[in-house]
Amino acid sequence: MSLEGRLALVTGGGRGIGQAIALKLASQGADIIVNFFRHRSTAEQTAKDIEALGVKAETIRANVGDPAKIDEMFDMIGNKFGRLDILINNAASGVGRPAMDVDVKAWEWTMDINARACLLCAQRAAKLMEGRGGKIVSISSLGSPFVLPNYSIVGVSKAAVEALTRYLAIELAPQGICVNAVAASAVETEALKFYFKEGLVKDNRQVTPVGRMVIPEDVANVVAFLCSEEAFMIRGQTIIVDGGTSVGLFTLLGKES
Amino acid sequence: MTVEEQVREIVAKITHADKSVITRESTFKEIKADSLDIVQALVAVEEAFGIEIPDEEAQKFQNFGDFVSYVEDRVAQGEKV
Repeated sequence: MSLEGRLALVTGGGRGIGQAIALKLASQGADIIVNFFRHRSTAEQTAKDIEALGVKAETIRANVGDPAKIDEMFDMIGNKFGRLDILINNAASGVGRPAMDVDVKAWEWTMDINARACLLCAQRAAKLMEGRGGKIVSISSLGSPFVLPNYSIVGVSKAAVEALTRYLAIELAPQGICVNAVAASAVETEALKFYFKEGLVKDNRQVTPVGRMVIPEDVANVVAFLCSEEAFMIRGQTIIVDGGTSVGLFTLLGKES
Repeated sequence: MTVEEQVREIVAKITHADKSVITRESTFKEIKADSLDIVQALVAVEEAFGIEIPDEEAQKFQNFGDFVSYVEDRVAQGEKV
């Protein structure tokens, strides 16, 4: 699988899952635009690591929760490169609360960043892919099909991402744009450590059939495949990367706690 | 306006708290700032002062005074985004 000569934008690409995706796509030859919002130093380090792989890297600061900033980011990409081949909708945020404690502010914050941004970025990216085709992959989570503790609003936002993925896949297929999503269970990142600390998530190594947690590279590998021509006939799907956790849930009923 | 006054203004606007009740000793709980309020305050302060506040540092803030001291230090260092 080679992505040589392709240009990819990874939102939230400076750290965690986004960073792993950026590095994976770069390792396959793609030039990378690393979008970040709050963590400039880690984004710049990621860009250096990408360049060390022999491809080009750019960093762009933009809060994808703000439509005007999304426009500015894509105006810049359009003016500088005039094209885009791959969009990875990875940037995410959220408020860990039960559904009954979600207020309007928490709803809007989470939905604007996690769901609306996927739509607005896809709309702008599709224009830069016109006449050449492209790939759009959005990052979802198991909080969409399943109920996770204190994950309500984030799960809802990810359900929106998955539904949007299906609609975009059909609408953009005639333009040669493949649209899919990747959903992971809890991934070992800095963000997850925070959730552990806050008691929002328990260590789930014991319930993962393969005996370890998902790492960012597991997600990145699947994203890279979906960005390749080998995945041409996969459209509108959400591929689950969880080491078998979700399909094995009922086997836990037979286990002693 | 001092750094402290500017940060207080931002925090008061986000939490809808009265500026006069936000002292350096006030905890975020006392100001009734939830986790989203804190993130939004961090974002607003980062943008206002052109600084970066890593989450690991922000998690150490015990009260409003810790937040202000961190911003004062960074501004004194002249960091710009």
